[in-house]
Amino acid sequence: MVRKKAQKKKKIGKSRIGVFVCHCGSDIASVIDVEDLTKYAKTLPNVVYAEHMNYPCSHEGQETIVAKIKEHKLDRVVVAGCSPRLYEPTFQKCVSKADLNPWLFEMANIREFSSWCHSNEPENATAKAKETVKMAVAKARLLEPMQPIELPMVKKVMVIGGGIAGINAALDLADMGFKVYVVEKTETIGGYMALLDKTFPTLDCSICIEGPKMVDVGRHPNIEIISYADILQVDGHVGNFKVKIRKNPRYVLAKNCTGCGECRDACPIEYPNPSDMNLGTRKAISVPFDQAVPLIYTINRDYCIECYKCVDACGARQAINFDQKPEEVEVNVGAIVVSIGYDMYNPEDMEAYGYGKYTNVHTALELERLLLAAGPTGGKIIRASDGQKPHSVAFIQCVGSRDANKYEYCSGFCCMYTLKHAVMLKEKYKDAVQVHVFYTDMRSGFKGYEEFFSRAQKGGVNFVRVKLENRKVTEDPQTKNLTVYAETEDGKPVAVEADMVVLANAAVPKATAAELAKMLKIRLDNNGFFAECQPKIRPTDTDVPGIFLAGACQGLKDIPYSVSQGSGAAAQAASVLSKDSWFVEPLVAHVNEDLCSGCRICESVCGYNAISVEKVGEKALARVAKGLCRGCGACASACPMDAVTMPNYTDTQVVAQVKAALERGENQ
Amino acid sequence: MPLQKLKNEMADALTLEWVLHVKNYKLALDKNRCVGCQICALACPKEAIKLEKHPQLPGQKARRAKIDIDLGKCNFCGICDVLCPYGAVEVTSNGKHTLAVVEKESFPQLIRDIQVDTSKCPPSCEKCEEACPLNLIEVSWVTADGKTVENLNGLAETEKKTIQTRVDVEKEHCPCCRICAIKCPENAIHVRKFLYGKIDIHPEKCPEGCTDCLDVCPITGALYLSNKDKKVYANEMFCIYCGACKAVCPVEEALELKRTKISHTPLRSGAWNKALERIASQVEVTKELKAKGSRKATESVDKRLGWRKT
Repeated sequence: MVRKKAQKKKKIGKSRIGVFVCHCGSDIASVIDVEDLTKYAKTLPNVVYAEHMNYPCSHEGQETIVAKIKEHKLDRVVVAGCSPRLYEPTFQKCVSKADLNPWLFEMANIREFSSWCHSNEPENATAKAKETVKMAVAKARLLEPMQPIELPMVKKVMVIGGGIAGINAALDLADMGFKVYVVEKTETIGGYMALLDKTFPTLDCSICIEGPKMVDVGRHPNIEIISYADILQVDGHVGNFKVKIRKNPRYVLAKNCTGCGECRDACPIEYPNPSDMNLGTRKAISVPFDQAVPLIYTINRDYCIECYKCVDACGARQAINFDQKPEEVEVNVGAIVVSIGYDMYNPEDMEAYGYGKYTNVHTALELERLLLAAGPTGGKIIRASDGQKPHSVAFIQCVGSRDANKYEYCSGFCCMYTLKHAVMLKEKYKDAVQVHVFYTDMRSGFKGYEEFFSRAQKGGVNFVRVKLENRKVTEDPQTKNLTVYAETEDGKPVAVEADMVVLANAAVPKATAAELAKMLKIRLDNNGFFAECQPKIRPTDTDVPGIFLAGACQGLKDIPYSVSQGSGAAAQAASVLSKDSWFVEPLVAHVNEDLCSGCRICESVCGYNAISVEKVGEKALARVAKGLCRGCGACASACPMDAVTMPNYTDTQVVAQVKAALERGENQ
Repeated sequence: MPLQKLKNEMADALTLEWVLHVKNYKLALDKNRCVGCQICALACPKEAIKLEKHPQLPGQKARRAKIDIDLGKCNFCGICDVLCPYGAVEVTSNGKHTLAVVEKESFPQLIRDIQVDTSKCPPSCEKCEEACPLNLIEVSWVTADGKTVENLNGLAETEKKTIQTRVDVEKEHCPCCRICAIKCPENAIHVRKFLYGKIDIHPEKCPEGCTDCLDVCPITGALYLSNKDKKVYANEMFCIYCGACKAVCPVEEALELKRTKISHTPLRSGAWNKALERIASQVEVTKELKAKGSRKATESVDKRLGWRKT
């Protein structure tokens, strides 16, 4: 024991630490006295070199660090700057250029913890920064060199959700030569885009541009679509995720169904078609729309009466099988792209707008289906109350969005689709229909969008700028005509009569997002969308290596943006998949088998199923799955035998930091 | 407007509705015609229909069981409409009473074989009209010049001789109990039952003084109270085996009801087999399937030996 201590002291005595204090432009230097801090750092034991510089993260800064390591034979480096979350990897690479083990680097966060939050008390901020540096130095002395953990790579990828973002991610990855599984919850890929009539700002037919891409996905030799399926469980880690999937029974055999539709024609039963926003019906055996991919019919057993007329119609093809059971499959992939999209908010609970109460109040997607030539009315805009064409249509923006009581965020694409609807109505019916848009701010910020706004204005659409509050719709019970009441910005009341009212209802996180996030162990943001790793420079990454985000599930976005992000996520996934093995930080729990009693407490606290007790010979011992361990340290602090340690977060190291923090030094 | 699923319970009707932008499905149960029998509840492929017994108040007659339909389960297929012996259910789409299950031949129709030979009718006879327990028959007379007369008393004897009798039967509501046919003095009415079966009442198991089955039976004379032992007995000549009695009988074994055959238009349908299995029994389904098999065999023989057709 004594000898060990002496050894450690000797080691500590030897270590040569360099401290680099960052100005971060003026973010740090304008509050903290960097000169004083550097002087202070030099007084700390083992610190053989200290300096302050503008941007250590810059090329020049990194070169300096490398040079100083060599010049002063530094064996530990501390950078006092921003959060390690962003730049720790950068500096780890930097020190390794000077042949220093990357885990002999430590970061002291004096920006978020000092200069930013104590900007109005610079003296105290400087004092706190000194302590932060002192703690980092105390730990740096005890850092141990480590080697990264190598994980083999399964060169396959899964795309969860086959909307336009997922389709692009899948096609890109498949073209790069990776095997892609597209897992789709519904009967067909395509997502919301497949339900739209036209797309803004070009007014292209939506399915005409998405359909070929859907077909490409269906036919690509590297893509396997697993549709009408649910994700049950996700285990494993980057390089080797194990995903358990349940294929739900369609009661139609995929390999025998030719998609001819004779069964549909024979079927006597209809039910409200969710793809038509329930404006029309579909048969109990049918496809949601004609361009469905894969083109396999599905029997909805909630409505089917089992008359077996479809079986007769299918005849020798024998594609119908009422005994089909759910089937579970397990797929191994190296990376996952999540692109599950969004849901639409049902505004029935906002009574002021009368949705669900007044026959002629619609949501925007309902109008979309009415405009669609293949829709339930054959493209005719007719009122449900009397089957007549409306002479005036009023659009109300931000229904549920930008509302502190509902969804505080902006749904992003509603302004543009309302402009699309307004232009389409005006260009189709000319002066026979009046179009009013009740808006608060017109958000038309991307390529070609502002020009499209001008087109709507020139086309005779009446734009009424109103407050978000105090908007109301009433109905004349006889004529079923509606009146929209609102207040202009200067408080003047406005009232406009309309035959039809269309609500731009908010888009919301997918109902299944929370459950999937739990399975994938990725975070949700405050609004319930998937949280990206870093909102500006890593928008497609999650916190989990190997899992990427694409499309509206990360935050609402329109088609071009979703397509771009799909391709972005594909590139990110490919950069993982193209490696033969994946190196992860060695910050994983380590079990001292001599001390472990096999009590299983670690098992119960682990949130990642990374530690489990196994029988090893006579003894039950805790074992760590290195790929799964995220280094959170829960097991290490829970272990009653002190058998579990976290490398570079050992008790000795942490206690040294605590001591440094509590010690009364010269700066107090 | 989102999809509206509506249910409305009124004194004399129960309605269920799906209102879509372009379509409207409606099911209407006429409570005045519904006798609370078991047929629709058994036939419903979605098990959406339930029979509810009314609580019996002391000293009061039993009330017919009440039908309740689950809006969440009903798919407006119209099988209850097709099979209701009393025609109490009507399913419409967009206001039209055309049922896709019938049009697409996925469910058969009941055969209500009712024939009236009015040439046999004696002048001024209204026996059938009086006999019908459900008031479905209306007898009227047409004079030589085409006038319809409700009452013969005002006519001259010469006119009476040239008069023609008209017997209108509301076929779609007729359970084919055959009372009119039996009561007709001239054998002018021919009715065939569409429901066949067996009803057995075991008086020894009946509670003392219980006449619940008789109280609810819609067919006069199908059940009767014996003067001897004041117990209820069945008369199979009129019974149509609808099961309204069974639905209210307080003792499980006291009233045995079995349906053995249903006359229907011929077709192949899984939904029909299921309905038949529930209304009658598996045995009947097997019998029908066998009969179909032999009919098919006969048909193919007929086809080959064309002469047999003539």
